[in-house]
Amino acid sequence: MAATRILIAEDEPSIVEALRFLLGRAGYLVDHVDDGERALSQLAAAPPDLLILDVMLPKRDGFEILKAVRDNQKTADLPVVMLTAKGQARDKRTAAEIGVNAFLTKPFSNTEVMDHVKRLAAP
Amino acid sequence: MARAPIGLKIRERRKALGRTQAALADSVGVSASYLNLIENGKRPIGGRLLKHLANELAVDLETLDAAADRRLIGDLMEIAADPALRDVAAQAGLAAGASADDAAAIVGRYGGWARLFSALHHAYLDRDREAATLADRLNQDPVLSDAVHRMLSNAAAIRSASEILNGVEDLAPAEIGRFHRILGDESRRLADVSRLIAGFFDAGEGEAAATSSPTEEVDALLYARGNVFAALEAASAAVLREAGVEDERWKSRMIDHLADRYGAVVDRGVRSGGAAAAAVYDPERRALSVLDSAPEPTRRFAIAKLAARLALAEPIEQEVAAAEELTTDAARAAAREALIAYCAGAMLMPTEPFAAEARRARYDIDILMRRFQASYEQVAHRLATLHRPGLDAPPFGFMRSDPSGFVTKRYPLSNLALPRRGGACPLWAVYRAFQTPEVSQRQLVEFPSGDRFLFVARAIAKSAPSFERPRHLMSIMLACDAVYADRIVYGDGLALDQRMAAEPVGPSCRLCSRAECDMRQEAAPTPMSAGMTENSHGR
Repeated sequence: MAATRILIAEDEPSIVEALRFLLGRAGYLVDHVDDGERALSQLAAAPPDLLILDVMLPKRDGFEILKAVRDNQKTADLPVVMLTAKGQARDKRTAAEIGVNAFLTKPFSNTEVMDHVKRLAAP
Repeated sequence: MARAPIGLKIRERRKALGRTQAALADSVGVSASYLNLIENGKRPIGGRLLKHLANELAVDLETLDAAADRRLIGDLMEIAADPALRDVAAQAGLAAGASADDAAAIVGRYGGWARLFSALHHAYLDRDREAATLADRLNQDPVLSDAVHRMLSNAAAIRSASEILNGVEDLAPAEIGRFHRILGDESRRLADVSRLIAGFFDAGEGEAAATSSPTEEVDALLYARGNVFAALEAASAAVLREAGVEDERWKSRMIDHLADRYGAVVDRGVRSGGAAAAAVYDPERRALSVLDSAPEPTRRFAIAKLAARLALAEPIEQEVAAAEELTTDAARAAAREALIAYCAGAMLMPTEPFAAEARRARYDIDILMRRFQASYEQVAHRLATLHRPGLDAPPFGFMRSDPSGFVTKRYPLSNLALPRRGGACPLWAVYRAFQTPEVSQRQLVEFPSGDRFLFVARAIAKSAPSFERPRHLMSIMLACDAVYADRIVYGDGLALDQRMAAEPVGPSCRLCSRAECDMRQEAAPTPMSAGMTENSHGR
């Protein structure tokens, strides 16, 4: 069986590097985009098995992307882990309404991310 | 609203000097019984008699003066009605309606303490406002928001990298190096953004430190002077005389005079696409550009203000310098502009002719607007300055509110308090006027105290109508005691003798005892319970 593919949509390079390292070690195939528009086109062209998505991305807002993912038949059930710098109740509610699988606030622990990812998509 | 405690002060002072009523009355040429009525607040007192009494009692006129006291009484009433102090006020047996006389007595006997309480309350309200401002800044400031976001991202990267370095076995040297580098970079960035955030809060310290806003201080000045500046009235009249300006050809005569005397130039402005200001003044060239397309009252007012700026700079400066109500440069600048507008009004609507015309027209603002070619607001404002001895005009209160309820100009009456912060009773005509822009709303009202007033309000557009922009309205309201209603056109047709004709209103929800009003937005003041009567007055 092919390795599980994860797409990380995050514009902070240091965070991406740490996640890439850990996910790679765990056996996942990791791809990365650093802005919202690229995220949308990638999701449409080659949907991953799991999406790690930051709320604040250049060019497109994370919630917009989440909505696009849920609205598209091909990705309606795609597991999404959302990352945010401000865990306001309002953001959590919006994400829950649109449909998110996990919501993590920075600065998160690597363990948290890895636990959620492994739960949602085995490597 | 309780009468100002002048009588009480006179009595206190007289007793302190050990003089009898009879002797004092004699020395100022009134009967002892009349003086007694004055001391008990049963007769108003002012003018020459008050001056004589002040002399005889060896006190300053200002000490006895009612205006400052009325304001202080109003302040104490507001304190008693403050929601934050509600429980304390209730326990003390204080209720808005019942304590007006107490407040007057406190001001009369312990004026200094009353001023202290008032200052304390103002300071408390300011802290409140400061806190709200800071909270708003925290929630909405984009710079801070962005900085916090960056800070959290830096922290996330640092945490991730540290966890990897500390938790992962068999890291290759290259990988160790890489994550150490990340730690270093992100720590540096975190340091920068932390400093930025800390600095952000330091910068916020100076804000809202002043006790009152410039607008409030100018308001206080106007109130303290009864919205009349005798020196400026005289000076404005002098300018008119000097310029040889009469009714006809007011504009051209004034423009010539300003050119001759001050080298000022008035020319036509050109609309440069989009909305241009009706009048633009260049102080260096002393050139005023007035848009041809602006309404006539606007153009005349602009020229009158220029005249005030050039010809009355000194008397205006004297007023500003002497005003202890103005504590900041911003307040003084605002006051200067307000007084320039005041003088402009005085030059366009000189006192004697204006008062005479107003009486003849029964204070019909539209008639006066046409007669003096002035705007609604200018006429209304001028009417509120007519309460001077010898003019035989009804005293008018004046209030200006924007659609959000923010009051930007107010001149209260002795027995009608106008709100200083926040809105008044929502039933007042000043708010209803927004429903019928440019059309007057008149209203006969009755307060819980039994006082009745005639309100007339109109919402006017602040700038000329334009296709590109939405219309912005301000509501202007004049108020006068209902006893004068028969002299005023706006009182016509109202069945003034019938008690039912008046609409029941209050000063504001917070200070109003009409518990059953369905427009009520705040809880009514708690009524005094019978058992507390004994202990609450402490006389």
